[in-house]
Amino acid sequence: MRKNIRHLCFALIISFAILGLYMGYINIFMGPALATDPHNRRLAAREAGIHRGTIYDRRGEPLALTEDGERIYPLGEKAAHVIGFVSQRYGRTGLESVYDGYLLAMTGEAGMEELIDRLMGRTRVGNDITVTIDSRLQSLAMELLGDQRGAVAALDPATGAVLALASTPSFDPNILGQPRDAQNNYYETLQGDEDSPLLNRASQGAYPPGSVFKLVAGATALEADGNAANKRIKCRGSIEAGGFQLPDIAVHGEVDFARAMSVSCNSFFATVSMDAGKDAFYRTAQNFGLTKNPWEGSRSEIPYRPGSLSKPEEMDKAMLASSAIGQGEVLVNPLQMALITAAVANSGEIMRPYLLESVHGPSGEPLFRTAPGSWLTAMKPRSAAVIRDAMVKTVREGTGTNAAIPGTTVAGKTGSAQNPHGDAHAWFVAFAPAENPRIAVAVIVENGGTGGRAAAPIAREIIREELKSPVRP
Amino acid sequence: MPVGVKNYFRKIERKLLILVSIYTLLGAGVLYMLGLAPSLNVIIIGALITVFTFWALNYYWSLMDYRGDPFLFPLVALFASTSLIFLCRLNPIYAARQFVWLMGGLLVLLTMTRLLTNYWVLAHYKYIYALAGIVGLVLPIFFGVEQGGAKSWLDLGFFSLQTSEFVKILLVLFLASFLTENRLLLTEGTRTVMGVGLPTIREWGPLVIMWGVSLILLIFQKDLGTGLIYFSTFLFIVYASTGRASYVLIGGLMFLTGAGASYSFFHHVRMRVEIWLDPWQHIETYGYQVAQSLFAIAAGGIAGAGIGAGLPRYIPAVHTDFIFAAITEELGLAGGIALIIMYIIFVYRGFVIALQAGDDFSSLLAVGITSLMGLQSFIILAGVTKMLPLTGVTLPFISYGGSSLVANFIILALLLNISHANNTIREERPAPALESELQAV
Repeated sequence: MRKNIRHLCFALIISFAILGLYMGYINIFMGPALATDPHNRRLAAREAGIHRGTIYDRRGEPLALTEDGERIYPLGEKAAHVIGFVSQRYGRTGLESVYDGYLLAMTGEAGMEELIDRLMGRTRVGNDITVTIDSRLQSLAMELLGDQRGAVAALDPATGAVLALASTPSFDPNILGQPRDAQNNYYETLQGDEDSPLLNRASQGAYPPGSVFKLVAGATALEADGNAANKRIKCRGSIEAGGFQLPDIAVHGEVDFARAMSVSCNSFFATVSMDAGKDAFYRTAQNFGLTKNPWEGSRSEIPYRPGSLSKPEEMDKAMLASSAIGQGEVLVNPLQMALITAAVANSGEIMRPYLLESVHGPSGEPLFRTAPGSWLTAMKPRSAAVIRDAMVKTVREGTGTNAAIPGTTVAGKTGSAQNPHGDAHAWFVAFAPAENPRIAVAVIVENGGTGGRAAAPIAREIIREELKSPVRP
Repeated sequence: MPVGVKNYFRKIERKLLILVSIYTLLGAGVLYMLGLAPSLNVIIIGALITVFTFWALNYYWSLMDYRGDPFLFPLVALFASTSLIFLCRLNPIYAARQFVWLMGGLLVLLTMTRLLTNYWVLAHYKYIYALAGIVGLVLPIFFGVEQGGAKSWLDLGFFSLQTSEFVKILLVLFLASFLTENRLLLTEGTRTVMGVGLPTIREWGPLVIMWGVSLILLIFQKDLGTGLIYFSTFLFIVYASTGRASYVLIGGLMFLTGAGASYSFFHHVRMRVEIWLDPWQHIETYGYQVAQSLFAIAAGGIAGAGIGAGLPRYIPAVHTDFIFAAITEELGLAGGIALIIMYIIFVYRGFVIALQAGDDFSSLLAVGITSLMGLQSFIILAGVTKMLPLTGVTLPFISYGGSSLVANFIILALLLNISHANNTIREERPAPALESELQAV
C-alpha cells in the first residue's frame, strides 16, 4: 500500500508541476496576444490612462495620432482599411488593433516605470510606431481609383515592405471615434452597404486574376522546360483543350514567349502549361505562395485571404488551360498579385511582406526594427529574367503601353478577368525600374474593362511618384 | 524527528507562523495605504485578531503536547490570510464575512484536535456516512436554491449551506472504512476468471452504488466540478488500497462513458467542453468567464501588476471560483506559482502522514482527504487557466465561502489528528482495540 500511496503523491505533484509550466506558457507565449485581444476590456481601461502612441508613415507623416484625448486620422478614408480604428463600440481593427501592445506600451516589463508614473500621477505615454506605408503613394492610389471599386497594392520587392494598400470604396475612421449620437448610424450604414466599404479589397478580395496570371503560367513552362523561352507556337485565334474551345482575343500568328506575353496570347500559355502538366502548374503556383498566408504562424498584420486553386487531382485538361490564363477557379487578392510580380522583380525570390517598420519609445529611443526576410523562392533567376524581359516588351510595344514612363524601363502585364458581375475586371501588375526594381504594384479596377486602359495608367502614376523620391539607403 | 523533545512540532510551527504573521500584517498595511481598506481600525484589528488566533492555537497545542504535523497549519494560515487580503481588496464585505467563517473554522479545528484524537471511532459508522451523504445530496435537489448555475445550496435563513462540501468528507470516511475492511478481498479477489482474481459483487457492490448515486445526484444538481472531485478521489482511494491499475482503468473508462453520455444529453456539459476547446467562439456568452480569466492571468506578467492595480472587476465570480485569476493578475506568475507550490507542499505533507500511519484506516483516511484537497485545488486551478474544462468549485482555503472553508478545516483537523497519532504511537499510544480488529480481517 505504501508503494501505491507514493504513486498517487507523485501523480498529483506532477499534475501541479505541469500546471505551473502551463501557466508560464500562458504568460510568456500567449501573453502578448491575450493582452491585445480586441475582447480584452483591459485595453479600454488602459486607453483611459495613457496617451496612445502615434502611427507614422515611412516618411514620418502621422497616419494616426491622439490630440486632446481624441484619435485623429489625417488621411481619413484614404488609409482607413490598413490603419483601422479604435472604437469602444465597434471594436478595434487594422494596425491600430494589431499593434495595441506597442501603442499602449503594454509589452515588456515596464513595471517599475509604470509604478513610478502611477505614484507621481503622470499620464503614461505609449510607444510610437512607424509603418512601411507611404502616405503619398497611398493617397495617390486612392485618388486614382476615385469612384471606381478597386484596389492597389504596392511593395518594395527587395525587402517586402508594403508601400500602399488602397481599397475603394472606403470609410472615414474619424467619424467612428465620435460620440454615438453624432455618428448617425454611420457604422450600421457601412455594414449594410452592398459595395462592402469595410472590406479591405487589397488583401481580402477574391478576384479571378485573368491574364496577369500568365506570370505564373510562364514560370511553370520555364521551370519545367529549359527551352520554353525559345518555343514558338502558331496562334489560330483559339485552341482546343480537353474537348473545349478556349478562345483568344485575336489571331496572333506565330508567337514566342516574349511576344505571347506582350500581346497576351491565350493559346501560347494554355499550350505550354498543358505541356508542363497540371502537377507542375500546381506546384509552381504553390511556390508563388498562392494558397499560403505570408503571416502564417504569427498574428496577421492585415486580414489576408489567401488565393485558391483547384488541386491537381480535381483539375482536367480544360480546367488547366483556363487556369493558366487566370480564369477557371483561380482566385487571388491584389496584394498577392503584387507579391507574384515582386518574385519576377527580385530574381525569383519573394520577400516576406511586412507593415511595421520600427517602434520608438516616447522619447524617441528605438525599441524594435523589422529585419526583412525571405518568404519563398518562386523560381530560378533565369526564369525570372525571361519573364521580366517579356514584361518590359509588354509595356514597350504590347498591351501595356499605357504604363510606359519616358526615361524609365517599366515591366508590366495586363489582365482583363471575365467575371459573372458584368464587365471584365481590369488588372495591371508592374515593377520598375526593370533593371533595378524599387516598386512592384498590382492594380485592379472592378468591372473596369481592359487592364491596359483602366488599370495601367494608375500603376504608371504610382510608379512615377515612387521614382520621384530619392533612392532610400 | 527527535520524538520526546517536548513541543518540537509546535516550535517549527511557531517559526513558520512568524513569517505568516509578517505577511498578513504587511498585506493589511498595504491595503490600508492603497485606500482599499474600509478604515485603519477595522483592517488592523482584523489582521491582529487573525494573527493572534493563529498564535493562540499554536500555544494551546503546545500546552496539550499536540504533535500534529508542524507545516500544515502555517500553510493553511497563509492561504487564509491571502484569502482575507484579496477578498478585502475585491470587496471588504466579503472579507468581513470570510473573517467570521475563518474564526468558525479555527474553532472547529481546535475542537476536533481536542476531542477527536481517537479518530478510529469514525471507522465504525460507514453506512451512516453513506446514508447521511445521500441525504446531504438529495436535500438540495428538493429544497435547494440555485447559485451560479449549480443547485447545491440549502437556504438556512441567515446563511446558506453547500451540503456537497461536507458530503465529500463523508464520502472519504465511507471509502476509508469500507476499504479497510474489504481491502484484501478487493486486492486478491475471491474467484478467479482466466487467472485473474475477481472480487464478488458483495465486495465491490457498495462502492459502485455509492459512487453511482453521488454522480447521478451531481448531474441533477448540475455541479460537475464536485462530481469530478468525488470521482477522482474515489479512484485515488481505491488505487491506494488495492494498487490495482485495472480498477483505475475501468473507472476511467466508466467515467469517459458517463462523460460522453452527459455530453450528448446535457446542454450545460456540452457547453463546458466547447468553451474549453475554443472560448473565443463563444466569447460574448459562455466563453466570457474563462476568457476574462486568461486575460487577467496574462495581464499579470511575471511580477504582477501589484496589489490594487489589476482589473478584477472584469472577471465574473472573481471572489469564489476565479479568485486565483485575480491573485495572478496582481501578484503575477511568480505569485501564482508560489501558491501552486504551497498546495504541492500541503499535498506532500498529507501523503507523508499517510505513509507514516500505523494502520490501514488511518493511512486510507489520510490519502483520501489529502487527495480531496489536492484534486480540488488542481481541478479549479486547471479550470481557470483553461488547462482542463472549467468546472466551478472553490479553491480550498482561499475562495470566498463558509461551507467550503469549514469543510476544509475539518479536513485539516483530521490530517493533523492522524499525524498526531503517528508521532505519538511509538512511545505511548496504546494500541487501539479497533485496529487489531481491522488487521485481523
